[in-house]
Amino acid sequence: MNALFQQKGWQRRQLPIQYALLPAIALVLTILFTLPAWAQNTIRIQGKVTDEGGNPVPGASISVKGQSIGTNADNQGNFAITAPNNAILIISAVTFTPQEVSVNNRQSITIQLVAGNKMETEVIVVGYGTQRKEAVTGSVVSISGEKMRDVPAPNISQALQGRLPGVEISQTSTKPGSNMQIRIRGTRSLSADNNPLVVLDGIPFPGSLADINPNDIKSIEILKDASATAIYGSRGANGVILITTDKGAKGRKARIAYNGYVGVQTVFAKYPMMNGPEYVALRNAAGIYNTPGLDEDESISTDWQDLFYRDGLLTDHSISLSGGTETGSYNFGAGYYKSQAVIPTQQYTRYSLRGSIDQQVGKYVRLGFTTNNNYNLSEGNQVGVGGVLGLSPIINPYNPDGSLKRTVRGTMDESFVLTREAVEKLGDLWINETRGFATYNALFGELKVPGVEGLKYRVNLGLDFIQNNGGNFTGEGVNSVNPTTVSTAGISNAQTYHWTLENILSYDRTFAHKHTLNVVGLYSAEQNKYNRSSMSAKDIPAENFQFYNLGHAVDEKVIDPDGQSYQLWGLQSWMGRVMYSFDNRYMLSVTVRSDGSSRLAPGHKWHTYPAISAGWNIANESFMQNVSFINNLKLRAGYGQTSNQAVNTYATLGLLSTRPYNFGPDEYAVGYYVTELPNAGLGWEYSKTVNLGLDFALLNNRLSGTVEYYVTNTHDILLREGLPATSGVSSTMKNIGETRNRGVELNLNGIILNNVNGWTWEAGLNFYANRNEIVALSSGQSQDVGNAWFVGHNINAIYDFKKIGLWQDHDPYLNILEGPGGTVGMIKVKYNGDYNPDGSPTRQIGSDDREVMDVDPDFQGGFNTRVTYKGFDLSLVAMFRSGGILISNLHGPAGYINKLTGRGNNLKVDYWTPENTGAKYPNPAGPLSNDNPKYASTLAYFNGSFLKMRTISLGYDFSRSVIKNSNMKMRMYFTVQNPFVLFSPFHKESGLDPETNSYGDENVAAGGYQRRLLTVGYNTPSTRNYVLGVNLNF
Amino acid sequence: MNSKHIVLAIMGLLVFTACSKILEEQPRSIYEPKFFQTEKGVQGGITSLYAHLRYIYGQAYYYNSCITGTDEATWGQQADGNFKDADLSGVGILNANTSRSDVLWNNAFYNINTASGIIEYAAEVGISDALIAEARFFRAFDYFLLVQTFGGVPLDLGAGELTFNTNAVRYSVRNTVPEVYTKAIFPDLLTAISDLPDQGRVTGGVTKTLARLILAKAYLTYGWWLENPNNIPTYPVTDRVDPDGHDAAWYFQQAYDVATTAIDNPGSFGLQPTFYDLNRGDNDRNNECLLYADHTESSEFYNASSLTYAGGGGADNFAVWMLTWNYPNIRSSELPTEWKPVSSVQREAAQWGGRPWVRMAPPIEVFTNTFADKTNDSRYDGTFTTVYRGNWPKAFTPPASAPETYYNAHFMPVKPGEPILSFLDEDPATPINYSNNPYNSNVGAGVLPGRADFVVSPSGINRGLYPGLWKLGVYRTDNGSGLGQPNAASTRPFVVAKFSELYFIAAEAAVKGATTTAGKSARDLINVIRARAGKWKWSNAAEAPKEEDHSAEMVAATPTTITINYILAERSREYYGEGYRWFDLVRTQKWNELAGTFHIGGVNLDDHTPQAFTRTIEPYHYLRPIPQTSQLDFMDMTEQEKAAYQNPGYQ
Repeated sequence: MNALFQQKGWQRRQLPIQYALLPAIALVLTILFTLPAWAQNTIRIQGKVTDEGGNPVPGASISVKGQSIGTNADNQGNFAITAPNNAILIISAVTFTPQEVSVNNRQSITIQLVAGNKMETEVIVVGYGTQRKEAVTGSVVSISGEKMRDVPAPNISQALQGRLPGVEISQTSTKPGSNMQIRIRGTRSLSADNNPLVVLDGIPFPGSLADINPNDIKSIEILKDASATAIYGSRGANGVILITTDKGAKGRKARIAYNGYVGVQTVFAKYPMMNGPEYVALRNAAGIYNTPGLDEDESISTDWQDLFYRDGLLTDHSISLSGGTETGSYNFGAGYYKSQAVIPTQQYTRYSLRGSIDQQVGKYVRLGFTTNNNYNLSEGNQVGVGGVLGLSPIINPYNPDGSLKRTVRGTMDESFVLTREAVEKLGDLWINETRGFATYNALFGELKVPGVEGLKYRVNLGLDFIQNNGGNFTGEGVNSVNPTTVSTAGISNAQTYHWTLENILSYDRTFAHKHTLNVVGLYSAEQNKYNRSSMSAKDIPAENFQFYNLGHAVDEKVIDPDGQSYQLWGLQSWMGRVMYSFDNRYMLSVTVRSDGSSRLAPGHKWHTYPAISAGWNIANESFMQNVSFINNLKLRAGYGQTSNQAVNTYATLGLLSTRPYNFGPDEYAVGYYVTELPNAGLGWEYSKTVNLGLDFALLNNRLSGTVEYYVTNTHDILLREGLPATSGVSSTMKNIGETRNRGVELNLNGIILNNVNGWTWEAGLNFYANRNEIVALSSGQSQDVGNAWFVGHNINAIYDFKKIGLWQDHDPYLNILEGPGGTVGMIKVKYNGDYNPDGSPTRQIGSDDREVMDVDPDFQGGFNTRVTYKGFDLSLVAMFRSGGILISNLHGPAGYINKLTGRGNNLKVDYWTPENTGAKYPNPAGPLSNDNPKYASTLAYFNGSFLKMRTISLGYDFSRSVIKNSNMKMRMYFTVQNPFVLFSPFHKESGLDPETNSYGDENVAAGGYQRRLLTVGYNTPSTRNYVLGVNLNF
Repeated sequence: MNSKHIVLAIMGLLVFTACSKILEEQPRSIYEPKFFQTEKGVQGGITSLYAHLRYIYGQAYYYNSCITGTDEATWGQQADGNFKDADLSGVGILNANTSRSDVLWNNAFYNINTASGIIEYAAEVGISDALIAEARFFRAFDYFLLVQTFGGVPLDLGAGELTFNTNAVRYSVRNTVPEVYTKAIFPDLLTAISDLPDQGRVTGGVTKTLARLILAKAYLTYGWWLENPNNIPTYPVTDRVDPDGHDAAWYFQQAYDVATTAIDNPGSFGLQPTFYDLNRGDNDRNNECLLYADHTESSEFYNASSLTYAGGGGADNFAVWMLTWNYPNIRSSELPTEWKPVSSVQREAAQWGGRPWVRMAPPIEVFTNTFADKTNDSRYDGTFTTVYRGNWPKAFTPPASAPETYYNAHFMPVKPGEPILSFLDEDPATPINYSNNPYNSNVGAGVLPGRADFVVSPSGINRGLYPGLWKLGVYRTDNGSGLGQPNAASTRPFVVAKFSELYFIAAEAAVKGATTTAGKSARDLINVIRARAGKWKWSNAAEAPKEEDHSAEMVAATPTTITINYILAERSREYYGEGYRWFDLVRTQKWNELAGTFHIGGVNLDDHTPQAFTRTIEPYHYLRPIPQTSQLDFMDMTEQEKAAYQNPGYQ
């Protein structure tokens, strides 16, 4: 390692890192003037890089073999480098085969690069190693970090949304710093975890994707089928996301990269609430809550959302330093990201720090270390928009003297006033923050076994630690109608300790130029410990204590047993894989893995499963050599098993729930009762996947793509089965049921214009359709209504009435179908019962009239396109989905803002009145179910189709004109995120973003759906962002 | 170089230190069901038996299922389907999805199973018989509630009859009504009576007296069931024959004997001196209360319900909100000349006030028939809030900064603590002016000449304007000088069983033919209750002491012959709004007779015209439907089997 830091030039290139945070232009100028001259005993070489046709190859990389000297060719392919006169230059460029050239004292060199087949040269990361893309036989989709960053986002998952076929990424929350839900080729498990395994730099990653700075990503590979994921065994059933962070490169001189942007986020669309007159009209139509409250005045129309939202600032800075020597490489980086939500005081801040070193020691040994660290802070998540939406618009929020009222009284309810001004003024009196710290570290040692060519032993050690500290404080009377409500405070602490140890023996060799053999053997062990503790207290005497000393609380201090947690799980695995390729034409990969999991019952802990896949590179066959328009054609087929152990720890053991109780006013005790029965037979859930794929590249590689078809059958599904009330126990965990996912995926990339008069136009399209189906449930049942699972339907299904309109005057059988409570204007739902001979229905509408409705879309995907001209680039990234059901908890009964009773404000909807019978929404004076119109749940369902433009970016590459230094690259861009939405019936009606923003049971006032269903609720509003950014390399 | 190799070799060795230990599991933050087989686990199990009461008693939707649709309440102005469906008055349908008796169904079986577990494991871990008797009591108690509500219910939860269930079964077989009584309820209660202490192990702990009350009531109820005077069907279908070979008369006699034994051996229990004392918030857990779902305002955690704002669910005691009208909408005037509305009666965490949900409303007959005597009988005054008084200074900080005077009817001045709105005892001779012009009460109340307060007569009561339920009103000691936390659920215990009911049970058994002992005829027993009702100490209406004894008048008014209808009327006076009514009417098969028609004004607050309503109470309604979503939907049974599982009339 000493050698590394003693490299020439290192100490003299003291680039102050803080410059990176200054405005970009200033930075450019600074760097331009401070670039050091090389003071070497060497010669200066001028050169030009061309392709086979003599055209310049812009941006080719030139480095001096064995030294940290390097440069890049400019756009005319010209370069200049100072190097020893006997040096060897390595010249490489994307899509070309790298070449080595001896300088031989020449001061002018022209290098002609030979185009390599993209597939031949491209190497992608597969589990436990890399593979030439050409030889891949499983289903792997890959994206470079650079390409991913076309969508500036704080989270990898956001950047990838809609961009990879078969990878469905859905928003689960609009709060800043939130994670996305990732489903690779659909949902297969009913209640076990459906999240893919994330592997960061080779080590299973226990943390949150939000912890990874997208600017540090070199590439992302997603393994989709069993033959590709089988090496990850039980953790791979839901697909594997391999994240590779930037490393230095051997023999490359030190480089600094800076990426940054600033932006503003604005509300995409306000929730469409009624104004004063509309609300008064509704109240009168409903006739229940038309007694005005104390602060109400029918002449007033207050838009509480206008008083609440703000514009939020977005800031992102990221800087990295990388380089390498002949025997090692390094990369260090730091990042800062901050996102202010449109909701006052809500924000997310992340600081990240990373580093990696890879060093050859002697001939046989290589050692390396990677560390990714971040500290993040989420604030203000206790402030929500739900209460604001429900405030009566005819309330005057101001006192006669112009000051804001503390509380306001509507017809039934008194509410604490939440406006931007009020929330900001509370400041330290109302806080809620989560401070996260995570460090992910990987160490490896590699030994080339002397004497056996191609045989290597490698040990990986992963050591991770994640900590989350939460703190909240609500001052006396804050957010409470009663000004003397005592203050409350709470803290929580959670730690995750995770280690992984992997021993890998690999043998990689080509025999007789035609037989390529790669054999990997693995033994690994992994353990994860999670511990959470929390406590809360009431009545903090001095408000400046906030949550920092709960011991001083005067009132009750609580350590709720449900707030404490301890989970320890372990996994042991053996794996063997053989990959064989003959003449680059025939490929075969065979894997066997055996996993043991602590989470399953004794006697059922181990499971072994195989995977096999084969590929045929048709284009490499001699009979194809004359078919010039086909550059690549490869057929792949695979079959494999994977399994899923992702039940909660201790799920086999059953569970007692607790019930606190008081005997008399101050004698306390805690009771226990059984809520979950043990299952000593709980074993693995496993999936069998068949995958067929075709990769192609046509017309001089200008059109390339992949088509895939797969079937995944999942057996012995781990399921928490709800039990009837009479069993005296609520549930048990079982291996039951079977699901199937079938799908097709298409990925197309084309270069439509290739430097035609300076214009280049590229486009990419991905399209995928997944058919998800429950094939069997427990004991041959065709449905499990309690859990909303139905054989032959999506796992994401709804069981509900079907709205077919509203009851109108003279509609027959209202009295039969709705009984005595039925009224004209109420929701009319579909009747599925029998009819009497006279055509009248035989019975009233009842639970048998509910129908199963599939939620999943018919197909979805995304497209992107990029046009460049003379340094300008314009790119668009869009996603789309078609069909399926969008569930809006706003419009349904759970949100309590479409009650149509006039108790609190209502969504601005077109409701039935005797004068407006053609409306979509029911008569406010109609029958109620709980606080909502009868069958209000049917109002929550919308067609799920939409096309969403995610980003439009316009960039300019200053390297082409302004900056003459060929070592420096700078691009600035302006991006609009979420500019518009098309083809969405939901958006058309409400103006809102059709993308989900909540789990089914979140952001509602009462009720909701199974958590697994993603919904639109009243979370932090979606935003439209305007971002100005810069990418700088030198 | 060699040293590097050594490092690697050591790293390699690390591998094999990871042994199979990592595949073992040891929970450290949750209890496994095995914990139930320890002494502490069993004790915790018994605590959960008490705690489960909260999920049934005080749960407003269940409360509604016990009252709405009877002569005590109909749906209120802000009622949703839960209340309209239960009313059977033509505004909704009661079925497997809408019936809120599901609350009982969903909570009772957990408790029965826990009790069975305790009974099974207690012997192994050396728990005393007295403790086991608590579990037996609760198992019988829950089965008794179930059998009254649903008919026959399963005794086998999956592992055998009355056995702790460790099998995850998804089917169920219902036993018959006689099986539930004779196999579960009677044996458990008999053992409980012999093993339970006279005085509770803990505050509110179950006792011999309580077990006697429930057994007496179970005997009485089963006696009625055997007799079946109005030919009400049962389910699952079974002959009205007692497996133990007794007849109805035998059970009525048992009921009488057990109840009078309890009266004669009261232990620490007895009647409170006045009805007011029985129900005032600062006298909770008094010696008349045998069982209650307890709550506390001193610990939010152990209360299991927010002390500041409750959503209405879980362990919340929010029943009283249902029969509370929206009194905070009452307006007085700030000015004596022009009507400038101000809020004079604010939402306060006090027994007279609390949080209004207006989901239920008392029919006018409650005030004209049930509580016809409002002079001698202290129970009208001790049940309802009839006078709403000015409390506006409590909304000001400091209260002293509040205006001293507001103006009310006829612009007459009113001061804090003075009546703003009164529900009159009788319809006055002078018609009430309900015009609300110019004195706009904002709640539809009227004015009478010479009176500063707004008034509403009994016949002017409508679905949104009626006396509140003082009896169950909230009581807090932490209001300070303000309005307190009216949006929290009640922190008072919800009383489940009272000593006084022993008199009613014995009296009812006597009416049904039980041989009485000296001094304990039906009339004697009822007169104990009525005499106590005649004793006054305080008037809520006047908010002033009222030391008067009208016992003699009360006793004098008792009819010579006590009938079932008289007992039922007397029970309603004693237990109005406490959740007894549906059970009483079902037991005696008088539901349709006594609750089939009623009168009340409309939903508009200014509607003071009583309308007549008729309920359609079919014989099948005497059993509630088995819940769809928590039971039928979770059973692995064919549609036919599920239909056969459901009570008739609800399939």
